[in-house]
Amino acid sequence: MSEKRTADIIIIGGGIMGCATAYRLAKRGVDVLVLEKKEIGNGGSCRNAGGVRQSARDPKELPLAMYAVQNIWPQLSEELGVDVEYHQGGNLRLGLTDKDIKILENHTAKSVKLGLEVDMISGDKARELCPYMSKEVVAASWCPSDGHANPLKASLGFYRKALQLGVTFVTGIKVEAIEKVKGRIRKVITDDGVYEADKILLCAGYESRKIANTVGIDAPVERQFNEVLVTEAQPKMFDIMLGVAGGEFYGHQSEHGSFVLGGNSGLQAFTSNNDNFVTNSLTAPSISRGIIKYFPILENVKVVRTWSGWYDQCIDVLPVIDNIPEVPGLTVAFGFSGHGFGISPAVSIAVSELMLDGKSTTIDISQLGYDRFKAKS
Amino acid sequence: MRKVIRIANTEPFVEWEDDDMIICRCEEITKGEIRRAVYDGMRTTNEVKRYLRSGMGLCQGQTCQRLVQNIIAGELKTKPSELGMIQGRAPVRPVEIGVFSKNVTDVKED
Amino acid sequence: MKRHELIVIGAGPAGLSATIEAKKNGMDVVVFDENAKPGGQLFKQIHKFFGSKEHHAKVRGFRIGQELLKEAEDLGVRVELDSTVMGIYENKEVTVKQNGEVHHYKGDYIIIATGAAENMISFKGWNIPGVIGAGAAQTMMNIQGVQPGSKILMVGSGNVGLVVSFQLMQAGCEVVAIIDAAPRVGGYGVHAAKVARTGVPFYLSHTVVEAKGTDHVTGAVIAEVDNHFQPIPGTEKELDVDTICIAVGLSPMSQLASNATCDMALIPQKGGNVALLSEYGETSVSGIYCAGDVAGIEEASSAMIQGRSVASHVCMKGGYLTDEAFAEKYQGFQDALGQLRQGMFAPQNKGRNDFTETDEGYPISKTLLAKGYMTEEELRDFPAASYKKDGVHPVLECTQNIPCNPCQDACNFGCIKVGENITRLPAVDEEKKCTGCGMCVASCSGQAIFLVDETYEDGFAVVTFPYEFLPMPSIGEKGTALDRQGKAVCEAEIIAVKKAPVMDKTAVVTMKVPLEYVNAARFYKPLV
Repeated sequence: MSEKRTADIIIIGGGIMGCATAYRLAKRGVDVLVLEKKEIGNGGSCRNAGGVRQSARDPKELPLAMYAVQNIWPQLSEELGVDVEYHQGGNLRLGLTDKDIKILENHTAKSVKLGLEVDMISGDKARELCPYMSKEVVAASWCPSDGHANPLKASLGFYRKALQLGVTFVTGIKVEAIEKVKGRIRKVITDDGVYEADKILLCAGYESRKIANTVGIDAPVERQFNEVLVTEAQPKMFDIMLGVAGGEFYGHQSEHGSFVLGGNSGLQAFTSNNDNFVTNSLTAPSISRGIIKYFPILENVKVVRTWSGWYDQCIDVLPVIDNIPEVPGLTVAFGFSGHGFGISPAVSIAVSELMLDGKSTTIDISQLGYDRFKAKS
Repeated sequence: MRKVIRIANTEPFVEWEDDDMIICRCEEITKGEIRRAVYDGMRTTNEVKRYLRSGMGLCQGQTCQRLVQNIIAGELKTKPSELGMIQGRAPVRPVEIGVFSKNVTDVKED
Repeated sequence: MKRHELIVIGAGPAGLSATIEAKKNGMDVVVFDENAKPGGQLFKQIHKFFGSKEHHAKVRGFRIGQELLKEAEDLGVRVELDSTVMGIYENKEVTVKQNGEVHHYKGDYIIIATGAAENMISFKGWNIPGVIGAGAAQTMMNIQGVQPGSKILMVGSGNVGLVVSFQLMQAGCEVVAIIDAAPRVGGYGVHAAKVARTGVPFYLSHTVVEAKGTDHVTGAVIAEVDNHFQPIPGTEKELDVDTICIAVGLSPMSQLASNATCDMALIPQKGGNVALLSEYGETSVSGIYCAGDVAGIEEASSAMIQGRSVASHVCMKGGYLTDEAFAEKYQGFQDALGQLRQGMFAPQNKGRNDFTETDEGYPISKTLLAKGYMTEEELRDFPAASYKKDGVHPVLECTQNIPCNPCQDACNFGCIKVGENITRLPAVDEEKKCTGCGMCVASCSGQAIFLVDETYEDGFAVVTFPYEFLPMPSIGEKGTALDRQGKAVCEAEIIAVKKAPVMDKTAVVTMKVPLEYVNAARFYKPLV
């Protein structure tokens, strides 16, 4: 059997955006081919802490978050036939100092203005919700509708479902360029020959910009280094997504019992790492100090691994999701800036509508256009 | 990473008698779960690991990686060397959060 | 940040040797080891090593460890123990867990010498207590002084399985059987033979299909396998054991190399995932090296040479050895490694099972490969194993090309000759006189040399053999002579027991047997 080289739609990037969109498109009867350089979900899709939240979102992308939390995540395990471990246990942001309280109040006020249920609560009230934290915690912001899920299960669950619906995936293939034919996007040039489609979706995370550039399209997106530590499994302590006003760490206890905790040493933005995933020697100690400050009870829990990833940071920390009129047939979805996982199921709906219907009707993504970047004066 | 073309299985999944045998002891993942993951489309050691947690426990795959790879290779009728390997990650031995929190970067006098 | 010219990770045979070599050349070096004692696996090894004198042949492994430690101490080498290397980061930074803290170090060069871990196989019940690795059994017996069980099934007939089986018996355990899924014994024939002559049965083309028991092992079910290593229904056999010991090979413990972003590959001949190395042992990350089992599974003798070789390359790069001095040293190490890496068991021949004859053209014993011992008929093909003359003379039942030659140095009268190539089979010089001193018997790491005198007394012969069990037989004691498969053949009377410091705990025991059993009797069992 000869290899499938053409499709109605080619998706470049086998991350959660690509897999979820492939699933939506296949459900609507489209013939889809997904090209992935490495493995399924190897980028930011499997390298994030699993946050599914509406709080602390920019109003421009809030519709995606609200739609995902209200309409998709609660039924997603059933829909995919894979337990994505979604828990709507709420989100606590903790504070230790007066300065922290100011940060939390500011953030709460913003969320309330957007119509979200977010409250400032006392340290004692926070300890009622999560009894294991230090007495030093004096205040917290609380958003009960936030939650978390397992990014690995969700990414691979979408992949599995897309596969079942007839999508072809090719992994271990590097896209070098995309090209127009007779005024429309058509060809995908790879290190293993040419593939062709009527429409192309570019959703390759931080690799997207380079590929977009080959057809004269650009967006101000750069990659950012991010690190997480994972502990051995512990008995269930809480279901809450945690963050701290000072930003030392964030994360949750997974269904499996391990703690998945991310954080920043303050030096990561300028890491010397080039193309690898080696963690920074200073980050895990820094996250650990943050954890102990808030949860001294975890002192003897063992860290079993640290990992890192790169995400695609956009200049305004918002994704670019749009049809590109200058290159008919090309749709882009990248620049998720480190908080794409929680909205990914909604993004896939918006993108599939963009590609098949010309515009996203279910969810308002009008603020996320590719041509929104202007000079400051 | 070599090129792999993936399409859905059309044959039904066949259960084996020893499917309930535990392979990854830390995470209690069975042979049947690994075989099922491959059937579901997982094609590399990493994908199976991410899908099931095999090799994500205290030993970080030291004991089971070879066993898991042999099962995947058997299902795909390929060699374990074609399946990629899991990344070695610090700390290569489990280390307490409390110990991690105390790191010494300065030169101290002996 | 603290910085050393060279950081060595792991103070086993490769790492310690590397550290010693670097220190000797004047380099600033530190070695970290996660254990409380240095030496790696050497201190578990109570058997005599193979090779030639320069490879410490006929010296027991733990004594090689002691010598290495002494050398390190005399040089003032810095060995940091209870120091677990956690990771290797960008710019050759290493973090080490020490005293409940994480210490950061940088090295101009790093040598990873973290050794190997035991492989496991899966079968029903493989995760219940009582299924243990052979290395774990060795630690229990030889380090902690505890018997791992009383009735043992050994799974795996490689050198580890054979050596550990012998040690289990020395520790007073019963080895109920040795099984292997392969159709041939994987380890040295001499190791198999010394176990077989105590009566341990070998089941080749057999696998373990079930560990019986709930909270501990109460039995094992084994079955014959077909050509695809699948159990053949109806061939199951239940063995009464309380411990199942797994000796199915080792995997390089290469996570640190992977963590340091070295290019890796799964290479079956090297035992698993290894960093891709230059001829000098350098990984794809400049300045990071691997030596010993982590670079590819071999054994301690070659690990020690590799450690020195890799360290000398580091010393050359760091300016402590001239190019010429390095070239000379390197050639010496290559020659020494070359001696070990030849013959049918050489690493490059791993997995091959098509050898039918020795380098000398003698047919390899099929019984030895299938059952662990040789028949008298097969031994007749080997001149050194079958030659006869009046009076006492040696019989060398060494029939495979393994890298070993202490026997030729052991005989003061030049009776035994191996020659330049140490994998040649030993030959007996019939012109030279044997005095019956027994030095060759004690020197043979494979316990394959016997002294025989067919003309001892009218109707009686004597057979002298190596003995490493307790209680030691006493002169005048009567017991049973066993043949090569451990079957009783006749009554035997002990007439001599020689022990000397130079024999290093291998007693040389002489028994008198009726003349007709002289070619059969090779071991002794006291009457209990």
